[in-house]
Amino acid sequence: MNVEQTTIPKKFHDAVLHWQRHNFPDYDLLPQNWEKYFPNEPAFCLCAKMEIGMSNTIEVGDRQGAPRMMKPSEMGEDAAKHLLAIIRAQASTEFGSIQQHEMTLARAPEDEDRFWVLRVMAEELRHGYQMFHMLTSQDWSSVSSQSAEEMIEEILSMRTGSHVLDAFNVDYDSFVDNVVFAAVIDRVGKYQLAMQRVCSYKPFAQSMPPMLREEAFHLAAGVIPLRRWAQRAAQGAELVTMSAIQKSFNKWMPRGLEMFGHEKGGDSNIRFGFKNLKNAEAQSQYYEECRKMIADLNQRYLRARLPKSSPEQAESLAASLIRDRGRHQGISADDLIELPDPRFFRRKGEPAWTMVGTHGEVFDDVDSYVAHLRAVLPEPYLASRDLKQYVGTLREVVAGTITADQASKRMPNLKRVGGVCPCSNSVRWIVEEPVPAGRTA
Amino acid sequence: MNSSSGQVRIRALTELDISRVVAIDERLTGVYRPDVWERRIGYYLRRDADACPVAEVDGKVIGFMFTDLRGGEFGLEDVSGWIERFGVDPDYQGRSIGRRLFESAQTHLRSRGATVLRTLVEHKDEDLAAFLRAVGFRNSPLTALELRADGTGT
Repeated sequence: MNVEQTTIPKKFHDAVLHWQRHNFPDYDLLPQNWEKYFPNEPAFCLCAKMEIGMSNTIEVGDRQGAPRMMKPSEMGEDAAKHLLAIIRAQASTEFGSIQQHEMTLARAPEDEDRFWVLRVMAEELRHGYQMFHMLTSQDWSSVSSQSAEEMIEEILSMRTGSHVLDAFNVDYDSFVDNVVFAAVIDRVGKYQLAMQRVCSYKPFAQSMPPMLREEAFHLAAGVIPLRRWAQRAAQGAELVTMSAIQKSFNKWMPRGLEMFGHEKGGDSNIRFGFKNLKNAEAQSQYYEECRKMIADLNQRYLRARLPKSSPEQAESLAASLIRDRGRHQGISADDLIELPDPRFFRRKGEPAWTMVGTHGEVFDDVDSYVAHLRAVLPEPYLASRDLKQYVGTLREVVAGTITADQASKRMPNLKRVGGVCPCSNSVRWIVEEPVPAGRTA
Repeated sequence: MNSSSGQVRIRALTELDISRVVAIDERLTGVYRPDVWERRIGYYLRRDADACPVAEVDGKVIGFMFTDLRGGEFGLEDVSGWIERFGVDPDYQGRSIGRRLFESAQTHLRSRGATVLRTLVEHKDEDLAAFLRAVGFRNSPLTALELRADGTGT
């Protein structure tokens, strides 16, 4: 592979490992079991990877055709600030997903599922490390009042509840969430990385292909267990049902759609040459891809229920059951998975706070809508702070005490902000090296 | 890797191609074996999805070729691109889909440092052998040998 590997300065590298010890204690299991689950595959490397041989020419935007930029100072203040925000948000997602996965990792029904997710987590750690390479290898001081140390401290101090994007502020309820998250939320990540391959800032563009190659497996670590669960559900397995999978999809799809940003936005990304699709275009493609994923899961389920059916028959049956809400050989639409309406349970973007149900039905009072949410979301999630906050805010929007826009800006609510490392009340994630004798700090 | 010509588009394998690969394999072999393909595609996606081109027409996958880059096996120190799995939907055979898949895989494997491409073909699979010869493969000085693990022959 045409990739150059590098490490970040030791104090930042050590800070990542320090963070890992507290937030990702299962990390050490990976090398111990690598050969068992990933035989003959190259060992995991906590490093930054830069693709070699990418074009030097900007592909989209106002500077299309000009040479790609190599330093933040070449971008102009607005563009550099915009890109810095993208890098910090992306770093937040990488570390955030590890914190979410870790909480329910041990509940994996099978070891293989667990080690697949463990590898995903390790690679997310590497992706966060990659973003730290972006922050530490160049001088951003002209567009940020924070030093690299301060930016990294801030990101490592975030916890579930204080991350930049809502999808990373929601706790997992079970291992079903680990898998559905990989299938749904990592899919958004794939879109972002793919769009950012064109980035006019070359070091960021060079970061994307190696991350995308790893992301391909992350999606498989979601979809393949889901396919197996669908098959087992068809055979009567009780541990992971189609209903449980459906409810997890209902929980994560709205957050995934919101990760693309407001449906009317994305112009700046194009203008600065950072991405090649506007928000709504990318979100629409993503939604259709999720539709295909769910159709595949339904086909896997139906072929296990009806072994004599062909792929075409299973596909056609799933479509007719969902469309007509009928029954066929004891199977109904309720046994299948359905893609929730893109307006369902939204708190950001055009449909935010509109009280649309999973099938597109519109509710006109909060209590009916909350009853619908209770029926279609995972039971443990109903008691979550996230849902409680959503419902409280929705009541305010419907009562007219705040606008939809104000409500959207309230999310996330920056709660549970960490700060210092939990192993000490005084030590932060980055620990300065002792100053050798004879030198001044 | 992402090219198109006419209605056929060649692109990298994704996890959402499993159903169509299973269906093509089922048409070719008469056996429905999703578990096998889930495992194999999980492997190839970890390795390098770009080394595994699929062909699609109007969004439907109609062929695939899964390859892997390895070196140092069987005393072969060359970096070798192994062509391991290959299938084209019978409804689309005879339209040079296999050749286009092969060319895509060849280009990618070469860019990753492969100096030789290798594969194994069953003697009885004359159609596959003919296809491979048509794209340039020749007999190898290596001979494939096998023995049942219980020592009773094959």
